[in-house]
Amino acid sequence: MTAQVQLSIQKLTKRYKTGEGVTGISLDIKQGELVTLLGPSGCGKTTVLRSVGGFLEPDSGDIQIAGKSVLHLPPEKRPTAMVFQSYNLWPHMTVYENLAFGLKIRKMRKEQIRDAVERALQLVRLPGAEQKRPTELSGGQQQRVAVARALLLEPAVLLLDEPFSALDAKLRNELREELREIQLSTKLTMMFVTHDQEEALSLSDRIIVMNRGNIEQSDSPQQIYDTPKSLFVANFIGRMNMLDGIAENGSIQIQNWELHASPDISGKVVVAVRPEDVRWKDASNPGLAATVKQVMVLGHYAEITLLTEAGIIRMFLPREEALVLSSGQSVSLTFAKHAVYPQSSV
Amino acid sequence: MNGQSVTPSLPTGKSLKPSMFSRGARRSALGLVMVLPSFFLLLFMIVVPIFTSIQESLKGNDGNFTWDNYKYLFTDPAMSSSIKYTIHLTVVSSIMVLVIAYLLAVFLRFSTGRLAKWIERLYYIPMFIPSVIATYGMINMYGNHGWLARIMLLFTNEPFMRIIYDYKGLLLANLWFNIPFATMLLSSALSSIPNSAIEGAKDVGAGKIQIFIRIILPLSFKSMLVAATFVVMGVIGSFTAPFLIGPNAPQVLGVAMQQQFSVYFETGIASACAVFMFAICSLVGYFYIRSMMKEER
Ligand SMILES: Nc1ncnc2c1ncn2[C@@H]1O[C@H](COP(=O)(O)OP(=O)(O)OP(=O)(O)O)[C@@H](O)[C@H]1O
Ligand SMILES: [Mg+2]
Repeated sequence: MTAQVQLSIQKLTKRYKTGEGVTGISLDIKQGELVTLLGPSGCGKTTVLRSVGGFLEPDSGDIQIAGKSVLHLPPEKRPTAMVFQSYNLWPHMTVYENLAFGLKIRKMRKEQIRDAVERALQLVRLPGAEQKRPTELSGGQQQRVAVARALLLEPAVLLLDEPFSALDAKLRNELREELREIQLSTKLTMMFVTHDQEEALSLSDRIIVMNRGNIEQSDSPQQIYDTPKSLFVANFIGRMNMLDGIAENGSIQIQNWELHASPDISGKVVVAVRPEDVRWKDASNPGLAATVKQVMVLGHYAEITLLTEAGIIRMFLPREEALVLSSGQSVSLTFAKHAVYPQSSV
Repeated sequence: MNGQSVTPSLPTGKSLKPSMFSRGARRSALGLVMVLPSFFLLLFMIVVPIFTSIQESLKGNDGNFTWDNYKYLFTDPAMSSSIKYTIHLTVVSSIMVLVIAYLLAVFLRFSTGRLAKWIERLYYIPMFIPSVIATYGMINMYGNHGWLARIMLLFTNEPFMRIIYDYKGLLLANLWFNIPFATMLLSSALSSIPNSAIEGAKDVGAGKIQIFIRIILPLSFKSMLVAATFVVMGVIGSFTAPFLIGPNAPQVLGVAMQQQFSVYFETGIASACAVFMFAICSLVGYFYIRSMMKEER
């Protein structure tokens, strides 16, 4: 698939008076792609999104939509639509008026507006809500209307700033799936901001992980999860065991156990292992010596806490396999997969 | 409250006799005691005087029932021109206050400049200046030999226009006394409009004027109504400034009423005047409450 680039951000820099902000952000989003900006609170996700929407003026860099720079355009002239972090329907208008407002401004005919609004409400599963007021809707319904309002503008790029973060977990899941369906059926280009890694992993075609105003990694969810490029990404996405070690001549010493590694790394390192990649054998086998501290069955899998000289390690096992283990048992650990990062990069 | 009602206790279902010291009884007694002062205040300061005035206004010099006082109010040329004058002044002052206060409030809400910051700090100062002092200040400023007249003398020999003891002076006084409060009300209404509501409108393509007419104005309309009510009532009932710097004829109703009462000793006419003012205020209050109820629904 070689779709066109729909949104292109080039060397975007925006610094607030406080010195915080984003620096040198470059990214491309293809037509019909859903890209997530993921990062901890305050890393600059909203700053990037608002710059694209026209609500912030960047210090330098360029923003292009469908090949044309939009920097000189005010928000009302940009081919973008935004769903905001907080509910921001207009409380004095009915749902219908909220949805029709933008279309009226575009001088659309009345019947056309009515049809479009009806279709949009159908799409967000709120048919018949036209005459309700925003205050008569639940939080989830309000955000659905906000999404519908943005969809009605048929934007070249849809921007969503943590649209579901104020909702409870179950509703969040539901809306996420709905959004994905809408995206697949409308082929809209979307830029989605979240600090929830689960949301990003489940929703995105591509994830851009940000940290302190910079991009750390931009890859598919699979790649982000399997091969995090930096210690920060490894730490931020999913759960990780972090072990200190010393690398030398193609091997890493973790306490009294030696692990193979690529020869081009040396010095103090951090070895990162996902809980599901930890393997165990009887203590007589080679590996990292460990003692079982606790076995916790969590539904279909079990989480085992192990004590080693290098610190606590967590391991996920299918439930049946975990039944063999008991507290106080000595075992030997190996890793099916691991990543190594220099320690200074924390 | 009355010691006879018997309530079943929750866990056992057995009936309990509420004693004088039961919690509920003590609470509601306390509540009543706390409400009483304001109730008596309302009764003796507002309800009783209103009825006395109505009674007084319907009594002739011989003590019998008569409509004469009201007839005088609307037929006497001096009195009816005072009424017209008062209503005119009230309408013009209120509109000017609201327009200026609204513009000021919009400026304070949306400007981030230094001027806005300074106005924000200073605009409510007039509220802290006693009205007598402010009125004398006005005489000093705009009077025949006031600062403005003296400064004008440097440029022209024309006699200075009459502000004090004139309509213009009263208008200026009304602006001075009412703009700060109205601005405060409207500012708080405007600052409760979230930025995201405005940004949302920009996002769907609304320009500045559309945002103002379709979003900002409707969302602050209710507060505008509240402000209008307070301003109209305040202006109609104003006394200090009109008494000190108002013209002799026609007069503002408050001053006319005072004259009837303490200069001509016409208690009946003064009372009719008071009842008339109260009626106007009630009308304004009625529209205010009605529109509030409409909003609730
Ligand atoms: N208007 C502003 N003035 C000054 N600093 C700001 C402003 N807006 C944001 N910042 C700072 O810029 C940094 C990035 O803010 P931004 O809102 O982009 O974060 P975010 O990634 O969206 O965070 P969150 O997940 O909490 O929404 C933060 O450290 C924040 O304190
Ligand atoms: Mg944010």
